[in-house]
Amino acid sequence: MTVRLLLVAPILVWSLAGCVTNHQRYDWGSYDPSLYAYYKDPTKEAALAESLAAVISTADSNHALVPPGIYAEYGYLQLQEGKNLAAVELFKQEEAHWPESKIFMDRMIKVASAAPQQRSTK
Amino acid sequence: MNPLSKVLIFGAVLMLAACASAPKRYDYANFRTESPRSILVVPVTNKSVDVNAPDYFLSSIATPLAERGYYVFPVNMVKSVLSDDGLSDANLVHSGDPRRLGELFGADAVMYISIERWDAKYVVLSTTVTVELNYSIKSTHTGQELWSNHQRVVYQPQSSGGGGLAGLLANAITAALAKAAPNYMPLAHQANSGAINLKGTGLPAGPYDGLFGKDAADY
Repeated sequence: MTVRLLLVAPILVWSLAGCVTNHQRYDWGSYDPSLYAYYKDPTKEAALAESLAAVISTADSNHALVPPGIYAEYGYLQLQEGKNLAAVELFKQEEAHWPESKIFMDRMIKVASAAPQQRSTK
Repeated sequence: MNPLSKVLIFGAVLMLAACASAPKRYDYANFRTESPRSILVVPVTNKSVDVNAPDYFLSSIATPLAERGYYVFPVNMVKSVLSDDGLSDANLVHSGDPRRLGELFGADAVMYISIERWDAKYVVLSTTVTVELNYSIKSTHTGQELWSNHQRVVYQPQSSGGGGLAGLLANAITAALAKAAPNYMPLAHQANSGAINLKGTGLPAGPYDGLFGKDAADY
């Protein structure tokens, strides 16, 4: 009986696996739910920024890839906060990790570099 | 026939059944010619009465596309940048030329999604929640459509535990809850998975997947 069960179990798992090709390529942290929460309530921008920063730091500490778009999303929130230098750094990171983003990131780096710094002294 | 071979055959039939429901294979000729590496998801158009549906949906689409192996442009940033450029109207973006979007963002392809339905219907004692979407990917080089898909996901809570008055009341309570705050996101995730991940109709593996360019048998 036990032997038969041992035989059946892997076959069931194998048959279930038939069409499932999904596996997690990246660790997204709470990116999806945070973006949803932000769209539901735009005052939750800080929480979204925090979750993006967490995705980056988790990937860094695991020596894993930061998922596509995450540096850029985080950089754009920084730009909206007037933190242009931080934004430029993040746009450069996106471009370095994901060459497909080059044209868009170059354009945004120009925008962020040209715009006046919010905290400039004069 | 010994019991083991019976089990094996049963397993094999189950495995086939798991894939058997796949509808007619999509024609990937145009897709294969371009073999896009990057996808720009533009803001979603909306035929439902829920004005928030496009944004809510947008939060669900980047991860399944990236997990399929594509570079996906930052969806929220793209939405904001388009809006800054005077393109906050999704309908306007959808009716525009994908080649122009390609120049602006450097994307190989643009994904257009329209929400056909996003609603909860309250009928007597039960609620039906429906999410229906059209997906289309167009080349930024030729403007041609490379892939399309249609998904309709319906959720209807089944009558819970036993019949009689207690059962009816339980249904009515579930229905009222679903009506007050239906959660569309599980349906949106299911729709995305049905559109992107099914062999024969979904998206071929992208460049960051080991099967990139090697899955012609399935797509």
